[in-house]
Amino acid sequence: MSTETVSNVDQALTSGNDIIGSIIQILWLGFFVAYMFYGQRIQIKFMLKEIESSLFKLQLIRDRGRSLAISTIKEIGKTNNDLEVRIDRILEHLYIPPVELDPAGIIKRLEHIVDVRDFRLKDEVKLMVPQANETQVNNLANMLEAALALNQIYKLVRHFYLSGKKTSSFYIILQLQMILPDIMKESEAYASALTAFKSGQPIGDGIGALVAAKLMNGRENQEVAQDIVMSEVPIEGRLAYVLKAKGPGGNVGKPGEAIRQILEEKEGKIARMIIIDAAQKLEGEKPGEVIEGTGVAIGGPGVDKFKVEEVATKYKVPLDVILIKEGVGDVVSAMRKEISDSVDDVVNRINRIIRETTKEGDSVIIAGIGNTMGIAQ
Amino acid sequence: MKEPSAAAKHISYFFVGIVFVLIALSFISLYQAVETYNKYKTADFINMVFSIGAIILSAYLLIQMRKQPMSLGFEQTKVYTVLRCSNCDYKNIREFQNGDYVLKKAELCPKCNNQTFISTIYREATEEEKK
Repeated sequence: MSTETVSNVDQALTSGNDIIGSIIQILWLGFFVAYMFYGQRIQIKFMLKEIESSLFKLQLIRDRGRSLAISTIKEIGKTNNDLEVRIDRILEHLYIPPVELDPAGIIKRLEHIVDVRDFRLKDEVKLMVPQANETQVNNLANMLEAALALNQIYKLVRHFYLSGKKTSSFYIILQLQMILPDIMKESEAYASALTAFKSGQPIGDGIGALVAAKLMNGRENQEVAQDIVMSEVPIEGRLAYVLKAKGPGGNVGKPGEAIRQILEEKEGKIARMIIIDAAQKLEGEKPGEVIEGTGVAIGGPGVDKFKVEEVATKYKVPLDVILIKEGVGDVVSAMRKEISDSVDDVVNRINRIIRETTKEGDSVIIAGIGNTMGIAQ
Repeated sequence: MKEPSAAAKHISYFFVGIVFVLIALSFISLYQAVETYNKYKTADFINMVFSIGAIILSAYLLIQMRKQPMSLGFEQTKVYTVLRCSNCDYKNIREFQNGDYVLKKAELCPKCNNQTFISTIYREATEEEKK
């Protein structure tokens, strides 16, 4: 571009009388007017495009998850009998929580519904793969649950996307776009979980069960509640009742019921209760970081948490928790090294708490909470 | 369960189309710049720089699109199994095998001939996760 051309362009842009300058001014004015009236619509179009691509990814994840569940069941069951129809039916399975208008007795009703749902899922697996052992049934039930969650997430996002598109509602689309990064992270975590469930690898959520397994190693154990095993372990001159879900199949059991039964059996003569569980880390915190606290750290619908709180209050048993920090993606994917490395730190903390807060000859309960997939006892 | 996904796929075809149009325009512009130089022996540097820049940028975009398939989270990460001896300090780390689980009894210890067991199963975090 020569000096002359540059000066021409400069002149065109600055001079109000010049034709090019006028055209540019009109274009700018037109742009402002269009933006004033159609700005939000343009923004909506861009947002919808962004959601559309995430929805496409969610659909791919959901379809891949479904295929993985089908292929794994086919592999183990060596059957093709209406498998796809049955799995599609399971993936559409709906869980309706109990009515909250009358909260009295809601925990019992909730527990009943959750139990029925769990049994139903396991029964479906047994019907599809009759020769599967307990570990395989539990792992496949976990797999189907992850595939079901992916289907639900996809359908919910699609619902809000289509509603937003149909109504051109900026606020529906905005809300969806705001939570979309978290939804995508959660979906990828479920996708990763399916891979871990297929191979029966321990997942991040199982860190509590891993700690309990380390303490129980080499000791006799007995089933004290549904899918919960207990060993009596001497620690620092005290007797510890160590609990975990029954492995190595994917299982969380009913730790609340087990703790309630032990406390009732011992008539509350328990000096301390220590619960070990995974906790969601905040941004900036490191995975595998160990912290201590007070209360009951048991996830899920709240039934087990309620039972432990109730019985601990009844007998005034002090409650300690040891939490291992994990990201959303780490909880259901194969256990990260940083998380499994935290076991020794947790065991040291258990020993310290017992030493400092109880006397020799006392009894304590140590409960390792979480999915025990890939972890025996 | 089977639903068409054309709408979401359309975005990427549209994008690829734009990149190809950009490449075509850049080549035309570059050709004109070369023609001008051949005719008048004066090089239109700005035109040439913009054209070459647009070609490089388009090629980069196309390479990136080929290079990065959509990550869905199903990618297999390497999982390791740690074996320990119940008697001595023997420790062996190998890749995870189907059927492995923590506290499973494994082969005899090569050091003291005692029973080994699986003490941990873990995966190394990806570089993306470590960030």
